[in-house]
Amino acid sequence: MKIAISYPPIVNKDGQKAMVSQNRNVQFFKKPTYLLPVVQGQAATWLKNLGYDVLWDDGNSQLKTFDQWYQDLLNWAPDVVVFESTTPVMKFYWQLINKLKSDRPNCIAIMTGYHSMRKPEETLQMSATDIVLRSNHIDFVLRKLIPYIDEHSNWRDECPIEGLMIRRDEKDFYDSGNFKQIEPLDLSPDVDRDLVQWKNYAYENGNYLQTPGTYATSVVRDCMFGKCTFCRYNGPDLTFSVRSVQKSLDEYQRLVEDYGAREIFDDSGVWYRGQEAREFAKGIIDRGLHKKDCYFGFNTRFGYLDEETVALLAKANFRFVLIGLEASDEETLARLNKGYGVGDAEQNLKIYTKHGLFPHLTIMVGYYWQTQKQLDQTVKTVQNLMFKGLARTLQVTLCTPLDFTPYHQECIDNKVLLAEDYDDFDMSKLIVKTPLPHDAYYAAIRQIYGIAFNPRFVARQLNFLSLQNKSDWQFLFTYGTRAVRRVRQHVFNLTKHEGKPVNT
Amino acid sequence: MEVRDLSESTYVIRLERDGFSFKPGQCVNLGLKGSGINREYSTYSGVDDPYLEFLIKEVKAGTVSPGLRKAEPGSEVELHGPYGSFFIDPEKIKSSQFVFIGTGTGIAPFHSFVLSYPNLDYQIINGIREVSEQHDYQDYDPSRIACCVSRKKWDGFNGRVSDYLKQMEISLDKVYYLCGNQGMIHDTYDILRQAGVSGDKIFTEAFF
Repeated sequence: MKIAISYPPIVNKDGQKAMVSQNRNVQFFKKPTYLLPVVQGQAATWLKNLGYDVLWDDGNSQLKTFDQWYQDLLNWAPDVVVFESTTPVMKFYWQLINKLKSDRPNCIAIMTGYHSMRKPEETLQMSATDIVLRSNHIDFVLRKLIPYIDEHSNWRDECPIEGLMIRRDEKDFYDSGNFKQIEPLDLSPDVDRDLVQWKNYAYENGNYLQTPGTYATSVVRDCMFGKCTFCRYNGPDLTFSVRSVQKSLDEYQRLVEDYGAREIFDDSGVWYRGQEAREFAKGIIDRGLHKKDCYFGFNTRFGYLDEETVALLAKANFRFVLIGLEASDEETLARLNKGYGVGDAEQNLKIYTKHGLFPHLTIMVGYYWQTQKQLDQTVKTVQNLMFKGLARTLQVTLCTPLDFTPYHQECIDNKVLLAEDYDDFDMSKLIVKTPLPHDAYYAAIRQIYGIAFNPRFVARQLNFLSLQNKSDWQFLFTYGTRAVRRVRQHVFNLTKHEGKPVNT
Repeated sequence: MEVRDLSESTYVIRLERDGFSFKPGQCVNLGLKGSGINREYSTYSGVDDPYLEFLIKEVKAGTVSPGLRKAEPGSEVELHGPYGSFFIDPEKIKSSQFVFIGTGTGIAPFHSFVLSYPNLDYQIINGIREVSEQHDYQDYDPSRIACCVSRKKWDGFNGRVSDYLKQMEISLDKVYYLCGNQGMIHDTYDILRQAGVSGDKIFTEAFF
């Protein structure tokens, strides 16, 4: 069988391309960031290892136009095409699948992703999709499903694999029940870097201090905390799975020594903590990987890394730490179930920067309860942290109720959700009623991004750079140039609806 | 605040309730005041108890659990929460039969369930390494708890919870709650699914 794991190029009316970004939601960017879809990469690798003919078909990272991408896919004549859904592009995917099924009726269309897995009937009703995966463990499910389809012509009627919704005919859908939440991640192979053409993702990514960079196979799938109300990795049907330290270290060694990676980022919802984090750092040092001119980075939470662990990570050449500072007032942190207090953030950041890590803050504004006082407090806190040098870079997003998260449900229950059209969930504008005019939140975004151009911040950064060695200078210059470009782009994206009337 | 030692490795920390409300089975983040570091722990006490309790295994190389154990009576801890959806739908309490499968301190949320819902129709399968880890068993109906001891021989069942499950009759009508380490949950899930239990009747809470 021939299986394509496909990401079509999707371009909006502003000429921006759809990119899977934060929380695996889609945002549109003019200058794209190419994120390697790790779990899909593992699925592709596993299927290839089983002997299937696999096409890694990412039209975005391969710089194809839609027409080129589609024609190439048809020419390859796949038996199965696997897509990944997210809310703002659902309608696009439904149309695409209908077109594909019209052009190749026998091709099996499989939809994966955090939108359709929570509402599988919708995708089967709205399109000619054959199968929707209810599981986020796409690799484990496809590893069972594809051989089953290959060996059973009656797979629509008899498939015993859990976590699927299968089309039997136009209106008859078979639900095989909830999926297995915890999988032994060590059984899933490391991403085949050649198969996914890893260099296509090695340069344009804001999480890299230096290039070529790459994403590691995640050590934690989803999030071990999993309680933040706005986050996709939250729900009664979701938990987390863990990969062993040693298996991951083996992959890091290969990436550094065989592929020449100079930055490895782990995009697990939250990376290891405690004993596992220390064991990992020691492993990097024991293998000498900390002396190979490669930086390492990960996502974490405030409250997870103590000073002993941070010191060890820094020694092992960890640098980029991406961390959510969703707000700076106790009420918002409590309502978001963040699990830490306002004071904890600064205390943790002091430890990170003391040992030389580069904290990158992700901030959100536009909660449906956010008052001017709370908004001001967030802006002031972020300015304070940046001016003090307790964080190096930042990113601001509009809090968008990602579908089927507790925050989304709250917005519905409180009748504050303004958008029904899935296209509006692309994080480019506020789609909830707020106590302040929406423009107040857009203005706050400008203020926060404005920090990057504040002389006080620039002076602090230059002072920081002067303490770095030559290689860090070089890479931070490159990084800085790209950062300014990204800031401009984010400001454009997040404020393009400024001044426009809000449909209430 | 006070600490009750249960064994060399395990203790219960009791905190003033102070109006804190939660659903049995939910967890909180606990940490030493001012430390900036915290960890998640499931509720152990009942929903109507005048205090809050958490069953904690001390991780010797850890940061939070050894510190909390040393905390003096009257000192303060930081608590955030409650969080999570590992609780029982109140509408199903009277109409469903439950099987709670937990290893080690993974019995904590089930302890909270049992104390909170006196008429609950439940069965607990508790996996521990040795008999000394039968913590607060007096709080459970003896006919409703099965203990699986994996390391030291005793008069009861010797083996893991997965071994126990393989030799018991698995009902397809009951609702299964699993709490503990990843390996146990993975193995147990497979056994239940192979027996024909729907994935929609299995709920999990995994420890890191």
